Amino acid sequence: MKLRAELAIKCATHESQTESRNHSIMQYNGSAIVAMVGKNCVAIAADKRLGQQALTVDMDFEKVFRMTDRTFIGLSGLAADVKTVHDTLRMRVNLYKHREERVIEPKTMAHLVSHMLYERRFGPYYIEPIIAGLDKDNKPYICATDLIGCLSLPEDFVVTGTASDNLFGMCESLWEPELEPEDLFETISQALLNAVDRDAMSGWGAVVHIITPDGVITRDIKGRMD
Amino acid sequence: MDALFAIAGKDFVISVSDTASARSIVRMKKNCDKTYKLSSHTLLAVCGEPGDTANFAEYIQGNVRLYSVRNSQDLSPSETANFIRNELAGSMRSRKPYNVNMLVAGVDQNTGAASLYRIDYLAAMAKVPFAAHGYCAYFVYSVMDHEYTEGLTLEQGFDIVKNCLTALKERFIVDFPDFSIKVISTNGTREYDLAEI
Amino acid sequence: MQLQTEQLQSAAGFKFDNVKRNQLLADKGLKLSTAKKTGTTIVGLVFKDGVVLGADTRATSGPIVADKNCEKIHYLAPNMYCCGAGTAADTEFTTNMVSSQIALHSLDTGREARVVTAMTMLKQHLFRHQGYIGASLILGGYDVTGPHLFSIHPHGSTDKLPYLTDGSGSLAAMSMFESRWRPSMSREEAIELVKDAIEAGIFNDMGSGSNVDVCVITQGNVEYLRGYSRPNQRVEKEQSYTFARGTTEYYVPRAAPQPAEVASAMDTSA
Repeated sequence: MKLRAELAIKCATHESQTESRNHSIMQYNGSAIVAMVGKNCVAIAADKRLGQQALTVDMDFEKVFRMTDRTFIGLSGLAADVKTVHDTLRMRVNLYKHREERVIEPKTMAHLVSHMLYERRFGPYYIEPIIAGLDKDNKPYICATDLIGCLSLPEDFVVTGTASDNLFGMCESLWEPELEPEDLFETISQALLNAVDRDAMSGWGAVVHIITPDGVITRDIKGRMD
Repeated sequence: MDALFAIAGKDFVISVSDTASARSIVRMKKNCDKTYKLSSHTLLAVCGEPGDTANFAEYIQGNVRLYSVRNSQDLSPSETANFIRNELAGSMRSRKPYNVNMLVAGVDQNTGAASLYRIDYLAAMAKVPFAAHGYCAYFVYSVMDHEYTEGLTLEQGFDIVKNCLTALKERFIVDFPDFSIKVISTNGTREYDLAEI
Repeated sequence: MQLQTEQLQSAAGFKFDNVKRNQLLADKGLKLSTAKKTGTTIVGLVFKDGVVLGADTRATSGPIVADKNCEKIHYLAPNMYCCGAGTAADTEFTTNMVSSQIALHSLDTGREARVVTAMTMLKQHLFRHQGYIGASLILGGYDVTGPHLFSIHPHGSTDKLPYLTDGSGSLAAMSMFESRWRPSMSREEAIELVKDAIEAGIFNDMGSGSNVDVCVITQGNVEYLRGYSRPNQRVEKEQSYTFARGTTEYYVPRAAPQPAEVASAMDTSA
């Protein structure tokens, strides 16, 4: 009983500890990705930098991928794992299509990703994905997972990457419900641009995808190159 | 301490690598080629842990050539780069991973388009217009950033290379004996002398 | 070819293929990162006709609130629910897995599963992983033998008590229970006490926040009251921060990327 009581206390205190925010592996390459819900549309945006710590290696690195016609995934974290997970996921999405003879829904893909990550609970991929898309009824869907696949499904916006703290702040004040695609574009762009300007590890231009029932609008937005 | 960089144009890639082979503070060899010809139109340049680089590059070279023999068709540059990255990512998850940084330069024989892929030892890959590895990156990236223009000519490319080498000579404490300059174009691969460019 | 079959058929259980690589990264001096935790207040109590479970809805990642309205009362079976504290992914996946096993078990036996069965499955799974699965659970349910309330710790130990609290806000919540819980409470009293206990955690523990979720399980009936109390509703924004269209500069329209799933063949470029 004593041991158990001690354990209980240990568990309780462990949770209240604030964890170190110095996640070096997650900050090695640098990234900032955000997705937002609008009126019958969703938007997902990402910066374009690929770095090796302080050295910028690429200013046009792809972090957001169009997995199906109307489902996008953004992968932040270690660039090597971004590529590995994207390759594996692409295979799984294609396999799903051939086996089921239908295109995967955003919600289904979120659970697929979640399981792919939790399978490696004790040797994780260092990525934190966000998924954005429209389902078959044109209902917006966004979600984020942590590096071991815990889904969170807010109704407004999701953020990930080295600028996630900044993005939380920007989105919390800028986002509002029922934005039309063009207004959503302005809101998500400004949220991202202003967030990455205060993050040294991300930025160098950005790309925005707005997913609407009529199709996808993709825009490269102009950002600071420092 | 290796110097390794490359610049891609529309239909050519210039690859530059130093030719020194060093162990600790001693230069063991002055004329070491750090590039590997994977096919007539694809070149792999490597740097990193001395044993790993040669071993991994030769393994890749063997397998890429085997593919050509088996299928009577060469892998395209993007296919080659993806294959290499996949092999390295697999190695990363083994007991003793290869510590190799790479540049994959090539010209697609079907489209005639040149491409350059930068792969680091963690198996992160990016398709880039210009790239560099190692300490030399801190010097040549700024030169290439400043002078690179989209769709540059071979001569313009050589000018950038010359400026990069000047920067290295001027500011880098390591003195390289020589550089191997190779150009991959639709005509295949050709080596240039330092005086020629 | 071997790679393909490995990837196509995902075997059951955990994969450890990244462990060596991650150790290598750690050896290079890079700090390994950690998963999302639910700094939490979760409670459960037994009353006259059954059990009441309660939870807050804040998920944290370090000092950052990662989710303001997450669900911590997980479904296990029609007559059982389970509150989770600790590593968020672990509570989610552990309860999900046991839930599916319970469903198969009751299909197999043709009976409604007992709460002890779920408790045993959970504790055996957690004990097998020696505490590395960081799930701290409060399990409540009603079966043929009546109402049951268990707490299950990450190492696999369990308690059966009439009232329980767990998570970082457990002390605040327990102070409410210790002063106000008594045997054979009415349904209304029980729900009110659970709400007050969770609110004690929400207001006095930094790791807990937002709303109160309540779940009342009685004989043959479950009432899941999502957002039973919302003491932290945001006031309506007084101003709109939308931007005029055309504020953001962008380069000449570019074509949207091709989807990865292609009608005929797989796209192998890039």
